[in-house]
Amino acid sequence: MKSISLYTDRKSVLHSLDPINKLYYIAFAIFIPIILPSIEISLACVALSFTLLISGKVFTKTMPAFGVVLFTLLTVILIQGLFRPGNATILFQAGPFTMYREGLLYASILSLRVINIVSSFMILVLTTSPSDLVDSLVRKGMSPRIGYVISSVFQIIPEMMAAMETITDAQRARGMETEGNLRVRIRAFFPLLGPVVLGSLINTKERAMALEVRGFNAKSPKTYLLDQKQYRFSTVIQWGILFVIGCAIVWRLAS
Amino acid sequence: MIKISNLSYAYTKNTPIFSEINLEFDRRSTAIIGQNGAGKTTLAKLLKGLLKPFDGEIMIGQYNVKTVSAAELSKVIGLVFQNPNDQIFKSKVLDEVMFGPLAIKMSESAAKKNALEALELVGLHEQLETNPHDLSLSEKKLLCVAAVVAMDPEIIVFDEPTIGQDYAGKEKIRNIIQVLKKRNKLVMTIIHDMDFVAENFERTIVINEGIVILDGDTRKVFAEREILKHAHVEDPSITQLGKVLGFQETFLTVEEFVQRWKQSQR
Repeated sequence: MKSISLYTDRKSVLHSLDPINKLYYIAFAIFIPIILPSIEISLACVALSFTLLISGKVFTKTMPAFGVVLFTLLTVILIQGLFRPGNATILFQAGPFTMYREGLLYASILSLRVINIVSSFMILVLTTSPSDLVDSLVRKGMSPRIGYVISSVFQIIPEMMAAMETITDAQRARGMETEGNLRVRIRAFFPLLGPVVLGSLINTKERAMALEVRGFNAKSPKTYLLDQKQYRFSTVIQWGILFVIGCAIVWRLAS
Repeated sequence: MIKISNLSYAYTKNTPIFSEINLEFDRRSTAIIGQNGAGKTTLAKLLKGLLKPFDGEIMIGQYNVKTVSAAELSKVIGLVFQNPNDQIFKSKVLDEVMFGPLAIKMSESAAKKNALEALELVGLHEQLETNPHDLSLSEKKLLCVAAVVAMDPEIIVFDEPTIGQDYAGKEKIRNIIQVLKKRNKLVMTIIHDMDFVAENFERTIVINEGIVILDGDTRKVFAEREILKHAHVEDPSITQLGKVLGFQETFLTVEEFVQRWKQSQR
């Protein structure tokens, strides 16, 4: 079955880190460029994120995500550079359009922040298996129920996609055309939708009953099936990130 | 009726399911057996046009499966899926069965006539207005059989028809197969129920790891115990009993066995 997880199994230091550390890094990547809103800091953060992605051997895997993000950011850069209120210093002209320094700078900072946030999330999703993330969060005190919801999404969506393929085949086998112009596709929609929705409801009910009979809602403390993974330097990394964020806040308040 | 020439297929590169398979199907009822993952369902989907061969060709009558859609092929070959919930979406039994005939452009009167006949064949003719979702699993499977029979294809493939069927349900399936055979249809099945194969199918094909390792009359196939063992296929119970009791013959039905046993007691 196809997985919807973007996790890429590689041997790297980044892969061996505690998933919680990566959540701390996401907080770092979001807050530091906001607390210290200079282009140099944003550039440094992006450089750090890219270095981490390269060290995790997953940088190439980020290209599809960055492709979408950069396309969106390009529109931001154009709109801000051309039309932002307060634009005064002309950078260059192309035909009837004038690009301004202030708008371009503002859009660049904004873009770097977005790239940084996306990079930090990519570090998490590309180098952490969903089950490890959920396991770590539950061990840190998150409700096992929420943990189950998160991990079940990774199972249910591929299952639904596989079910959808089977249902499509079953209807094609009965003479229904599913490919062609828009009219054909719309006509195919209801014969596909009915079994998919019904199948999902049946599966959900059966899944809920299967969980119930296995004591999912029992009030007693849970026993973990797997041994807790031992991560090195977790505490140091987490306190280190908090310390840097704290320093940034102090710096900002003092300056 | 069907000619498969040098058929090759793979879901992913470098892991072929079939390599250069050649098979011909006449009107003998045929069971395709083999362990899970052997390629049985893939073969059925290829025959139905739901998957397209990488190499080679499948000819069903005048149709080259590679060049026509599965929907078009529905006029000549029907496939009854294992899970009825994958296809049922209408709110009335009659409408569900009429969907296929109407989809292949049958006139409404012909579609209704075929649907009523098919529902009578499977024993659901008194539940025309019932919501299909109110039927039992066994009845839903019969409904799906009716839905394919109503399209009147020359070839009908059943995917695990006996799963989820009690004795009465199996008897109904048996009866449906006999009626279809009398109508000169080619009935094929993909199945793990060897007792059902032995009792109802004239020809048996054993697939193992994408290769046809046995093909012939069902009795001859079930006589090849070592090859079947290698393919992880269990003999029919009655065949096993005969062997355990030291008979040389390969029994396919209880009646055959009882008759031979009585002879041996005289």
